[in-house]
Amino acid sequence: MNLELIRASIPEIIDGLGFTLLMWLPGSALALALGLLVAILRHYGGPALDRGLQALLGVLRGTPFLVQIFLLYYGGPFIGWDFDAPTAGLLGLSVYGAAYFAEIIRGGLAAVPRGHVEAAACVGMTRAQTLRRVLLPEMALLILPSTINMLIVLMKETAVLSIITVPELTAVITGIGSLHFAYAEAAFMLAVCYWGLTEATGLLGRGLERRLQRFRLA
Amino acid sequence: MTAPAIRLSGVCKNYGTHRAIDGVDLVVQPGEVACLIGPSGSGKSTLLRCMAFLEEHDDGLIEIAGDPLGFAPGENGRIRLPDREIARVRRSIGMVFQQFNLWPHRTALGNVSEALRFVLRLLRPAAERRAMAYLDRVGLADRAGHYPSQLSGGQQQRVAIARALALEPRIMLFDEPTSSLDPELTGEVLGVMRGLAADGMTMVIVTHEIGFAAHVAQHVVFLEQGRIALEGSASAVFRRPWNPRLARFLETYLDRGASMLIAPEQSDGA
Amino acid sequence: MTWAVLSLLLAGAGVTAAISVVSVIGGLLLGIAICGASLARSRALRGCAAVYVSFFRGVPLLVQLLLLYHALPRLGLDLPGIAAAVLGLTLCTAAYQAETLRGGFVNVPAGLIEAGRIVGMTARQIMLRVRAPIALRLTLPAVVNEAILILKASSLVSVVGVADLTRTAQNIASSNYRPIETFAAAGALYLLLNIVVGGAGAGLGRMVGRGR
Repeated sequence: MNLELIRASIPEIIDGLGFTLLMWLPGSALALALGLLVAILRHYGGPALDRGLQALLGVLRGTPFLVQIFLLYYGGPFIGWDFDAPTAGLLGLSVYGAAYFAEIIRGGLAAVPRGHVEAAACVGMTRAQTLRRVLLPEMALLILPSTINMLIVLMKETAVLSIITVPELTAVITGIGSLHFAYAEAAFMLAVCYWGLTEATGLLGRGLERRLQRFRLA
Repeated sequence: MTAPAIRLSGVCKNYGTHRAIDGVDLVVQPGEVACLIGPSGSGKSTLLRCMAFLEEHDDGLIEIAGDPLGFAPGENGRIRLPDREIARVRRSIGMVFQQFNLWPHRTALGNVSEALRFVLRLLRPAAERRAMAYLDRVGLADRAGHYPSQLSGGQQQRVAIARALALEPRIMLFDEPTSSLDPELTGEVLGVMRGLAADGMTMVIVTHEIGFAAHVAQHVVFLEQGRIALEGSASAVFRRPWNPRLARFLETYLDRGASMLIAPEQSDGA
Repeated sequence: MTWAVLSLLLAGAGVTAAISVVSVIGGLLLGIAICGASLARSRALRGCAAVYVSFFRGVPLLVQLLLLYHALPRLGLDLPGIAAAVLGLTLCTAAYQAETLRGGFVNVPAGLIEAGRIVGMTARQIMLRVRAPIALRLTLPAVVNEAILILKASSLVSVVGVADLTRTAQNIASSNYRPIETFAAAGALYLLLNIVVGGAGAGLGRMVGRGR
């Protein structure tokens, strides 16, 4: 293995890592916000809206992320959405993630015991207060494990954005690999970077879960 | 003459085609402790939940201290009152649930002070001072910083009582408050409730603790199939000539407290 | 959308379905072996299983496919694209399926195992006659779910030159300049395949569920 090449590539890899994080973290935050919005609309919005959103989510969850990205990146310009690759990537990742987060959050809201909401009504909280002070915090605790899982999924999906030329980790490292015919080194660097990222996320997530354990009813 | 604390007239509640509450008339006077007893499925919990407007009654009128709850009689049948009015009337009522229903992400103090801060709009120090006073009243001032998961069932239920009391309701409703507790923990909760009764709180209690009902309640209501089968003072219901269905019901509670109440020479009567 | 285009897409869908089915079944077999290793008494075996699962779940499938396609030829193993694709999908889904199966085994109620012990079954008999059948039944829904995930993930094999549904759509879109219709049609075919897999899974569930 050519360690010198790896050492020389570090600045480039850091740039790629920056792009990966730039896609992943804001994309996940947008996905979470959009998913929350959809879940709340489904919760309070009446049956017609609920069915419409459900169908939309079914399409988003039933098709490959790659096809969605192709549709957005190559099809977008035909309807006036002429995004550059990183913008299309960020948007695509957010919408894709939102479809899963909406389902996770819907399940979390449904899993909050009815009695906790009744107790809020009995002490005089309004609907908005009940949502803000009881439903959302309890839901957040309930969905923490699946949220962390989903964050890891989205982190790995950012690799797909290399296909539409976003200069993130996978694109940068495979580029280095084919430029120098150094595939073993590229493999090693990719594995270290992604494995490190997923393990670190999982570790942080499990730590957070342990810290929040006391908020949970046995 | 002041209005009764609670007045139900002709209250009905349906679930689909099943009639859970079938025309109940009931008056609870201020300062009175009323116990609702009856076999499971008799509608006692549903009736209590109607009194808190957690279930919307399909017919009849519920008045809390003279104010209609949820629905008022109108020219063409009844009209549903606005949410704001429902909240105002409901403010007279405190509710305690079988499953405690403490919010798991709030400490004991947080559970009690939450509504003081966000419903009564007290500032945090004032809300917490008042919350501490009520935690102290249920004997849990030293557990203020604990989360529900760190409390026993009996302690959780006492926090839930403090949470309801802190809003200073005129009426406290209890829905089987000891049914999900281990037997050795029911005493602490019943003790708090006995204290409330002694202080003159108006209380309506759905309970299986027949002994407690016999000792604490002034007013006992025996429900069956969504109707009041028998009601009266505790002594009238438990010691007087027998309604055979009540006798059958009480026989299923042949713990020591209840069997003492069933006088053998009377059980063939009615 | 002409019939010619549609028939090309259908052929691509056939490739996608074939790759997915082979990978899911191969992944199940490999997953059973890895699950066995992760439940073994030997510490080394358990360690290997844990590293395998962590690696293949921790690194993006796309990266795994690129490695297989580009790196293996350097080691003297020149795989055609489709073999690299099936191998990559199989190795990856095996890690997920092993973890699901392990969850199933761990969640077999202790009382049922004790019941086997009481009637005198050996450890081996308990494993084969009690734990394995119950665990398989517990994990079947997750395996069906995994099949749907692999169906979608298989779109990534397009980057190693396999003419699957996504690659076919890409080729068509770059020649007819109608990416919206083309990729939408591809998406619809993926949805259709999902429904088929879900239906097959439900049927399988009913068959297995009879012994409940």
